[in-house]
Amino acid sequence: MANFNIDADKSVTYDAIVVGSGISGGWAAKELTEKGLRTLVLERGRIVEHVKDYPTMNLDPWDMDLRGGLTPEERDKHYKSIRSGFIGKDTEHFHANDRENPYTEVKPFLWIRAHQLGGRSILWGKQTYRLSDLDFEANARDGHGVDWPIRYRDIAPWYTYVEKFAGISGAPLGLPQLPDSHFLPPMEMNCVEKHVKARLEKEFAGRHLIIGRCAHLTVPHNGRGKCQYRNRCSRGCPYGAYFSSNAATLPAAHATGKLTIRPFSIAQSVRYDDTKGTATGVRVIDSETGETVDYKAKVIFLNASALGSTQIMLNSTSKRFENGLGNDSGELGHNLMDHTYRIGAVGTVDGFEDKYYSGRRPNGIYIPRYWNVDEQSRSDKFVRGFGFQGGGGRTGNNNLEGHGADYKEKLLQPGPWEFFITGFAECLPYHSNKVTLNDAVRDKWDQPTLAIDAEWGANEHALNDQIQEDAVEMLERVGLRDIVGFNNRHEMGYGIHEMGTARMGRDPKTSVLNAFNQVHAARNVFVTDGACMTSSSCVNPSLTYMALTARAADHAVSELNKRNI
Amino acid sequence: MMNRRALLRQASWLAGATLTAPTLVGLLQSCAREDPLDWEPQYFTPDEARFVTAYVDTLLPRTDTPGGLDVNVHVFIDRVMGVNSPAGDTPSPMQAGILEFDDGARTKYGKAFYELDESQRGELFIAAENLAPRYQPQVWGTAVGEQPPVGFYRSLKSMAQWAYLSSETIGTEVLNYDPVPGAYNGCIPLDSVGGRSWSL
Repeated sequence: MANFNIDADKSVTYDAIVVGSGISGGWAAKELTEKGLRTLVLERGRIVEHVKDYPTMNLDPWDMDLRGGLTPEERDKHYKSIRSGFIGKDTEHFHANDRENPYTEVKPFLWIRAHQLGGRSILWGKQTYRLSDLDFEANARDGHGVDWPIRYRDIAPWYTYVEKFAGISGAPLGLPQLPDSHFLPPMEMNCVEKHVKARLEKEFAGRHLIIGRCAHLTVPHNGRGKCQYRNRCSRGCPYGAYFSSNAATLPAAHATGKLTIRPFSIAQSVRYDDTKGTATGVRVIDSETGETVDYKAKVIFLNASALGSTQIMLNSTSKRFENGLGNDSGELGHNLMDHTYRIGAVGTVDGFEDKYYSGRRPNGIYIPRYWNVDEQSRSDKFVRGFGFQGGGGRTGNNNLEGHGADYKEKLLQPGPWEFFITGFAECLPYHSNKVTLNDAVRDKWDQPTLAIDAEWGANEHALNDQIQEDAVEMLERVGLRDIVGFNNRHEMGYGIHEMGTARMGRDPKTSVLNAFNQVHAARNVFVTDGACMTSSSCVNPSLTYMALTARAADHAVSELNKRNI
Repeated sequence: MMNRRALLRQASWLAGATLTAPTLVGLLQSCAREDPLDWEPQYFTPDEARFVTAYVDTLLPRTDTPGGLDVNVHVFIDRVMGVNSPAGDTPSPMQAGILEFDDGARTKYGKAFYELDESQRGELFIAAENLAPRYQPQVWGTAVGEQPPVGFYRSLKSMAQWAYLSSETIGTEVLNYDPVPGAYNGCIPLDSVGGRSWSL
């Protein structure tokens, strides 16, 4: 695919360096190269070439050893991330090795990492929603955290810009708290989901049940194929039907001829010149040889994931920045957020026994936030709100009673229709939720690791209680039976939406980044992954990272041209 | 869809009988005709293997569709247990469960489980089923709420179900198999796919 710069001597100077190649790094690479910058992408893992390096993409269960189950050795390699429940033989190779990359859970925290080209863009859930001014004004309104330095109007055109390239399927709704995207045709709901939608919207004024908005192509788009409804996305899609760096942004960046990718390159620190007062490049440890190389560039984008970028910044000390690059405020590493996860209700739906569906849709339904969106919906128990994801299907043969011929025949038939909803609640930015560098625990390359010290606060618990209460009430009034309300009380990290540890803000005294994701005190360093988030909203964040990255890259090139950085 | 399905069925599951691992009948056993142990377990002891074989055959007998033994459910369980059980003297929960279930058979009928007739085995299954805690519903592959241990009977039943449904023969010739659907249709008559589930 791209030019691999494995021979480090040839060139150490570029116009731009992008650290990381996941959702936001891929966008940074695309935008910077398309604007003419010779760009080096540093990837700490191996190259994963689109299609060629998706070894499990076409395997059926019986094609895999243990039918897709993991061996004890594989489970040990992923002994932390296996808690997510998402790792099998089909995706094991896209998850980082927890033994080689330790982190310390001061309080329980699940940190899912993907150390290869494309990062977690290969594995992500692909739900894509715009933030609204309800989100951008939230901190200013209720006093938690600091004010976002931007509003919806600042990012709206950039949402449209990235959506047109990425391809987002969905249907417009016109809700102020969930602005519509530039949509490809929506996926279809099944008969039970349509039934639940009709009943729910009749029973609950102001609540809507819609098909999920997602980064899956429902029609061919920009040279990528449409979804074939195999639902094997996280193995890598041979059709390029869902958005990933590998399928979409990196090929676009490569097409400019300006892209160099250096794999096996652990960004150790951003180099800062105290006399010039500017960042000069990135120090890299070659993960294969252990060799250290300094790369130089005029512009540096940190896109190593929220905690990855924060770790690099904390490790980037200089005379000017004794506590980490850009950390004048003392906020670097703080205000860690996620979304609450797996709280909701599930029930059985009668009356559709003769109905079924064909195709495996990699998407579900969504219920947009309805609490605290206006005066009428104000809660006195919590601030902010939550949305629900969910779906209906015939899956429930787990407890099939009996044995013998009749049991066996029933086992071969679809079980009863089940329908579930599970909430994702906004998390407030608490200064006390933080990551710090831990010198005592070193990784395979003798680098200090992160200690993560974070937990849900009272507001998140109140939101979760409301999620469960609402979920059960909705399923009851819709007419389901055998309803089970649940709260798995997962610790932070299960949402896999780490955010906020180098937040944007208006005031350098209380934030790390400015309105264009520039480090306040090192203007040629941009951070556009989850670390930049000033608040968490309750919607899935990746689309916002895409838009902020494209916007920041545009600003970076403009500032370069004006010789301001 | 029906045509393709019919085509798949032409590859009769009976051809899959060749999948059975090489047998050592006669080498190991003197009474091979009555003894279900016509395969070579890697993990289970011969008595445990006899139990598992009988369990699978009772749960998933051969009818007009293949039985559990036809698609080597027992062999696969033996392999999964072997891979996942650390070597050592302590019996695994699975082994302890087999021992206890067999003890129950001996107490009630004076014979090991594998030596019982179909109705006797069935009575023990029903008794165990009534006592077994049920699985919680799942959301995205993980049980919701607190999942109590389901005990030996349902654990083994669940493993046998998985082994059966994920076998190539059942997955491609008995269930509806469509690796590349190409489209999603959210509402079709169940009849249109022969009343059976999709395998993937």
